[in-house]
Amino acid sequence: MIGGFAEIGMRRLQGPSSLKRKQPDSGSPSDSLTDAERILYNLIRGKQDMGIWSRDMKRETNLPDQIVNKSLKSLLAKQLIKEVVNIQKKGSKHYMATEFEPSKEITGGEWYADGSLDVAFISILKDQCLKYISKKVATADEILDWMKKSRMFSVDLTTKQIEQILRALVLDNDIMEIKSTGYGDFSSVKEGRVCYKCTKKDSRRGEPNAGAMASIPCGVCPRISHCTPDGIISPTTCVYYTKWLDF
Amino acid sequence: MVTQNGIKLAVHLITNHFGNLVAKVCENLLRKGTLTLEHLIRFTELTREQVKNSLLVLIQHNCVQAYSLEVEGGSTYGAKANTQYLAIFDNILHRLRFPKFLATVSENFDNECVELFEGLLRDGRLTITQMVARASQRENPVAEDVVRDSLLKLVTARYVERCPVPEPVISKLDKDETTAKKRAAKSAKINEITETLEQSVLAAAVPMEVIRFSVTTNTGSCVNRDISSNSSPIIGVGEKRKLDAYGLDKEPSAEEKELVLWRANFEEFIRGLRHKACTENVRKRLDDDAAMVLKAILEETRSAEEKVKMESSVPLSLNTIFEAVIKIEVGRTMTFDRVQALLVQLGCPQRSSDASFSIGLNNIIELARNDEVESIVKNRYGQEAYRMFRLLSKSGCLLETDKIANDTFVEKKDTPKILYKLWKDDYLHMEKLAFLGFKQPDFLLWKVNKLELWKHILDEMCHAALNLSIRLAYEKEKDNEVLNIPKEKRVGPVVERFKRIRKVWLLLESALMKLDDALMLFHDF
Ligand code: SF4
Repeated sequence: MIGGFAEIGMRRLQGPSSLKRKQPDSGSPSDSLTDAERILYNLIRGKQDMGIWSRDMKRETNLPDQIVNKSLKSLLAKQLIKEVVNIQKKGSKHYMATEFEPSKEITGGEWYADGSLDVAFISILKDQCLKYISKKVATADEILDWMKKSRMFSVDLTTKQIEQILRALVLDNDIMEIKSTGYGDFSSVKEGRVCYKCTKKDSRRGEPNAGAMASIPCGVCPRISHCTPDGIISPTTCVYYTKWLDF
Repeated sequence: MVTQNGIKLAVHLITNHFGNLVAKVCENLLRKGTLTLEHLIRFTELTREQVKNSLLVLIQHNCVQAYSLEVEGGSTYGAKANTQYLAIFDNILHRLRFPKFLATVSENFDNECVELFEGLLRDGRLTITQMVARASQRENPVAEDVVRDSLLKLVTARYVERCPVPEPVISKLDKDETTAKKRAAKSAKINEITETLEQSVLAAAVPMEVIRFSVTTNTGSCVNRDISSNSSPIIGVGEKRKLDAYGLDKEPSAEEKELVLWRANFEEFIRGLRHKACTENVRKRLDDDAAMVLKAILEETRSAEEKVKMESSVPLSLNTIFEAVIKIEVGRTMTFDRVQALLVQLGCPQRSSDASFSIGLNNIIELARNDEVESIVKNRYGQEAYRMFRLLSKSGCLLETDKIANDTFVEKKDTPKILYKLWKDDYLHMEKLAFLGFKQPDFLLWKVNKLELWKHILDEMCHAALNLSIRLAYEKEKDNEVLNIPKEKRVGPVVERFKRIRKVWLLLESALMKLDDALMLFHDF
């Protein structure tokens, strides 16, 4: 299991953050650029960590498509620029000078890898946090310490990240955020500090009881606003009901 | 807060119980507000006789209240033509929960009381004479004093009350206010106007406390525990009018006493159910002990509550609360400190022990409503929508799409789609921030508007209750032939079908009762 986390962590390590910041050396390939290449390179570099979309480049430079494409290829080959995934416009070609790291707007932030939300990583983090809190009331720092000590992940996690994960668990209604009273369950946490505790669930099924509406067909029905007693969609002809009452 | 589907549900209930004609009259009153007899005849296109009889049925069952407007100069000329009829939406919906009211009575009283109360629910309003007559015609008849005794018990517990004044007079002032508002408001507002009017009519019709719960029996025993507090010489004009209406300025004759009409006091049942909902919610959220403390407090202060929708419990000192707790059997293990700690858990600020404590009931109700809404969102729109909805609901302010995506770990390109779906179904409020002259896409801001949302949910619940009830009626009709097969002939596949029918009915009926709990949570609590 631990190997599995490490692997995912490794993948993250090799993500955007592992790209070395390359400075063009003296006598660098940039000396031997064509005019078109130079214009494009300067434009791309000028956009810093935001990079630029190929279509915008064509518009801003007024260079013919063919030349732009050829020059980009050449700049890529010389490792002066790189292609990055822009989460806003996936599938479109977005370029950036090699020495820059894509900004948060482009990558989607620390939870994104290769332009997609790193769902697997987030879900493992959530599971681990939940596992810890199900045993005892805990603070974010405490959980982070535990993760570091057990070397579960090869990436460096921050308290802020753990807090973000915990907040999402609160939104899932798996845990609650409360201030420690210093007594009982909270005895391990200093009074007044924010800590997390598992939410009380229906002990038999581990799921909170569904509400009155959620446990009948109409409560979760996508067509409720089109349903009328004598209409085409009606409670007497309703398929959801027929299914529900099918003993 | 009467919604379109609420009206449909109410009309459906009335149709089921009293047939189409009565329902037609009732529907007109619900949709158009208050009407006179002439108006009703015109709108329903029924005969005068039919409308009159329908109104009588509705009044008998406490679904309509008549009132008249005070005529200028105090003259009573034309008073009859002036009589207005008002449908009482809440009372119509209460018909759905009669089984719950009856259950409350049978939990707390003997069989005689249950019989008497059942009669009141069935017939709407009864005089003592009628009650006695009914009891004597039963299979195992009971004597008059048993009936009187049962009535006395139920009235003392406030589960039964005297009927309101048949036709209270509403002063010109109230009327001017409402007509002015009516003119100013568009039809969408009609509900709100009816609501304030309804409140003043009902308030004017309800007898003074001292009369409302007083039974003078033949033996002369009298329940009027509030008489001392109410016998102050200063009586408001309205109260004076009520006194006149009851002829209480003179000693009522024995015959007059026998003519007093009695009915179930729905308010007291709803109060009890609200208390129960609060304690059960606390039990779910905290634990049994916290629920017990709340229960003890609510029982102790029950008669001191001035209305059903109390924002918070009536303040009590820690000593009184402790005494109330140890009155309950399981409460005897409690210590003073433990009770105090539980009060803090229940949301009372930590205070010195001689201060008084009051528990925020509206907060508890709000949390219960949130649970219900969130569970709908989760089951209808999925886990990610649930997380987003909870984020917005907790924050209580406008949040931008990207911020929502970040905080809920939802893929950025999926976030607007989910939010849009919730918005389209009226679960979210949305605002656009457009940047003129920029090629940037609009910023979208989202928010949960709780009051609007609750209204919407209530409407959906009424719709769902209507559907459940229609489906139940349909299933019953469909299975009628099977049910008519005599017992001895029920063999083979018929037995199986029979079992299925029972299951279907049970499921539908219990779902309707559970949904009704939720309806009360959003409408009556
Ligand atoms: S009756 Fe059927 S179609 Fe109509 S709202 Fe309910 S589940 Fe939906």
